[in-house]
Amino acid sequence: MKFFNFLVIAFFALASCTLDKTDYEAETGLEIPELSEFKEAVSFTSGNYKVSIEALNGTFYKGYNELRLKVLNAQNNQRVNPSAVTFLPIMTNSDNVPSSCPHQYNLEYDAANNYYSGYSVFTSESDASGNWKLYISFTVDNQKYEINKQVTVEKQSNKNLNMTAFTGKDGEQYCIALIAPQKPKVAENALIAGIYKYNKPTTAAGTFPDPSQFSYSEVMGYTLKLDPRMPEPSMGNHSSPNNRDLTQQNDGFYHGVVNYTMTGNWTLNLILMNQNGLILKGTVVPSDFTPGVEGVKSELYIDTLF
Amino acid sequence: MKYFIIALFCGIALTAQNNHAHHDSIKNLEEVKVQNAAKKKIETEMKMAVSVDEFLSSSDNISFIKRGAYAWEPLLNNMSTERSQVTIDGMHIFGACTDKMDPITSYVESNNLAAIDIKSGQEGSLHGATVAGSIDLKRRSTAFSLEPKWKGTYQTGFEFNNKQFFNLGNVSFSRNKFVAEGSISYRTADNYFDGNNDEVKHSQYNKFNTSLGLAYKTSDLSSVRVDAIFDVAKDVGFPALPMDLWLSRALITSASYKQLFEDGLFRVVDTKIYYNAIEHYMDDTTRPENLVHMDMPGWSTTYGLVSKANLKKNSYSSEISLNAYDNLSIAEMRMYPQDRSNRTMFAFSWPWVTTRFAGLAMNNSWEISEKSQINMGGSLGVNYNYSKYVEFNWIFHPGASQEKTRFLPSLHAGYQLNIEQFNFSVGTGYGHRAPSVSEGYGYYIYNSFDRYDYIGNPDLKNEISYEGNASAGFKNDRFSIQGKVNYFYIQNYIIGRILSMGSPMNYQSVGVKGYTSLDYATLLNLSMNVSYDILEHLHWKGTLTYARGTDDKNGNLPFIRPLSYLTSLHFMHKNFGIQTSVNGDLEQINYSPEYGEDLTPAYTIWNLSADYTFKINKLRSTIQIGAENLLNEYYSTYADWGNIPRMGRNIFTSLKVSF
Repeated sequence: MKFFNFLVIAFFALASCTLDKTDYEAETGLEIPELSEFKEAVSFTSGNYKVSIEALNGTFYKGYNELRLKVLNAQNNQRVNPSAVTFLPIMTNSDNVPSSCPHQYNLEYDAANNYYSGYSVFTSESDASGNWKLYISFTVDNQKYEINKQVTVEKQSNKNLNMTAFTGKDGEQYCIALIAPQKPKVAENALIAGIYKYNKPTTAAGTFPDPSQFSYSEVMGYTLKLDPRMPEPSMGNHSSPNNRDLTQQNDGFYHGVVNYTMTGNWTLNLILMNQNGLILKGTVVPSDFTPGVEGVKSELYIDTLF
Repeated sequence: MKYFIIALFCGIALTAQNNHAHHDSIKNLEEVKVQNAAKKKIETEMKMAVSVDEFLSSSDNISFIKRGAYAWEPLLNNMSTERSQVTIDGMHIFGACTDKMDPITSYVESNNLAAIDIKSGQEGSLHGATVAGSIDLKRRSTAFSLEPKWKGTYQTGFEFNNKQFFNLGNVSFSRNKFVAEGSISYRTADNYFDGNNDEVKHSQYNKFNTSLGLAYKTSDLSSVRVDAIFDVAKDVGFPALPMDLWLSRALITSASYKQLFEDGLFRVVDTKIYYNAIEHYMDDTTRPENLVHMDMPGWSTTYGLVSKANLKKNSYSSEISLNAYDNLSIAEMRMYPQDRSNRTMFAFSWPWVTTRFAGLAMNNSWEISEKSQINMGGSLGVNYNYSKYVEFNWIFHPGASQEKTRFLPSLHAGYQLNIEQFNFSVGTGYGHRAPSVSEGYGYYIYNSFDRYDYIGNPDLKNEISYEGNASAGFKNDRFSIQGKVNYFYIQNYIIGRILSMGSPMNYQSVGVKGYTSLDYATLLNLSMNVSYDILEHLHWKGTLTYARGTDDKNGNLPFIRPLSYLTSLHFMHKNFGIQTSVNGDLEQINYSPEYGEDLTPAYTIWNLSADYTFKINKLRSTIQIGAENLLNEYYSTYADWGNIPRMGRNIFTSLKVSF
């Protein structure tokens, strides 16, 4: 009998609740919906033609957006392949002053997939203080079509696709947007960023929208130095080893490596240097371990969270 | 009786075991566990009601790292638990705590053990690949009896220093074909007080343990047996650590089949399958000084098979053992930000690490003559590791292997010679061991001793040990002396070294250390035991041990015991016994600042106890009263984590009743 009592005790003690093991896959996916599907975000109709722009999740987000543009014959829904497809996003603020953001003006035809690809790095969300309009032009049968439409730019809730815009020490306007990883892991993560620069117009403005007034380009041959740290005071300015600064690769993007040692809030402390090693923005952050004190951030940084 | 317990530990020679195995009355299968023929009582010279830790500490070659009053980490030959094999009846069990708060010895209780079998160096390779040796905790196992028989023991006691109150009970029923036995125990203790009468906060503990064993004789020469141990420790303080234990639980189960043979080379084959699951949840909420609240749960699950065969022919006897197990170790850390609305921070400190081991080991002995004997043995093991979330390991070791297979050979040989009252032995050994889960795959495991976060390296080389040992002794009716020495040269000695990269994760930490291999390290252990029967009822015993451990740059290794001594007098007359002992360590001169050690001063402790045995009806009863650290010395030893002071004067009482 006694033994049975032991067994009963043992059984209940075992069955009582304790902490469950963490489902790690769910843990890292908790904050971040990983988007991989391109859906139509906006469509325009001009005469016989319908232009459809696809973006991830069918939404324009603040930050980097890869775009796929398709032109269809509105009557029979057949694809047409126009030439000279251009793309220009313009934001008009409450004072009616237009500005743009880094974007690809001349879209490239992707023959394999039969669409025109480009990107846009929206620098703000659509709200009362400003809204975005896309200006598209293309040529079919030697006829040029120009259309525009207001679009909504949503908040990017995935902080791993954050961006920052600033003026460098050279007086130029820069924009750095994170492109990957969408869904970081506690691991070595290939970090990809786009670095863009506003090309100051050299000529007076022509008819609105004059692309020469709103020209951006990828910066070439710069270096983005990286020092990731956890800003949480209790983490005492914790950092990770084996990170690699971002340098430009053939795809035009800047590639580096960030190691995240645990989930949570991270700050990518950055220093942007031009081809000559001149610092355009950013400061070296202290590397001391300072428990209880929130880590000092570089004057150029992007926060991430996963 | 008590007098010889320590001596039993000294006789780590495997042959004693083997010999006993065959002298059993095989036909009647009286002993289910043939191996247990050598009875050893779980009690020390000073104290009859001891914890497993206290019992182990009475052995010469065991010392302890102590993080509080509970769950001491046993060091065998001055080497930590990674280098030794700690098993329960040959079953492999792995603690679930990254901070070694749960050595295997913490999941058993003295009343479900019959003996502890310690083998030094490669002689212990029968239980798996090892460097330091093996500690096998042998469970109680009642023999079948011709007549139905009930047996039971009840022990209770109170220790005044930490108000420890314990109740241990075990009962067994045996018949000619059936045995059932069980034990139950509960210990509870408050904080203890040091030699300055200051309370050592967070040193309380509560432990519940129960075990059950059922055996059935399937034929004259065979039997089956199932065993289970269930252990719960709750609200256990670890004063030397920045956190305590909220709950740890272990379920240890096994089923075995044993076949004896009346003639032929094979005498006994005993095969066991086992399963054990350990969960361990730390708790830092009782430490307001902690800046960060952190959950640190750990789980360790092991399945295994162990099969042993005893062979004997004329002067040759042999023991063959097949060992296989699969262990999954998981440990997590989740840090809570000060602003709880922020996201918690999560990482694995053991990223789901699987260890699979299969090994075949053999020990042989030949009695060349009446006087001399040769022992030879060897083993070959295959050790496989797999890290499920290897990306954690890649942060510090990019591209490290996710899977790793290692071959772990071992060889040993020894020669024993007895010439009249003298005995001599020499031996040598060679063996590999694989890195432990922490050494291989640990991730930011905070070591509060040197205050570094430790990072494992999956591609560490095998640690390779070359050892030599020798002993010499003399014994006559009244006097005995035995000296022993062993020396280990350990190649690729695994130890933490400061990493220049990375920064601490735990806020108390000062830096990051990575497990790396030193070219080599050496360890020397010396011990000397003397006993003398001054009068018929008055016995004296003395022990002296010394160890020295150095790394490849001639620096000191940490946790090496300085010269220590124990001298005791034991007087026994009729039903009355009194014993006193003085023990201590000399100053720890050869300390290692690199590993957080500082000079530990010498100390001396005086203990005294008296017991009286009597009968109430048919119950054999013993009461004991005694005091440890009678002079209330304030001290801490070289292996007290963070120099926490040891217990001051402790008056203990206990009662043992058995039928």
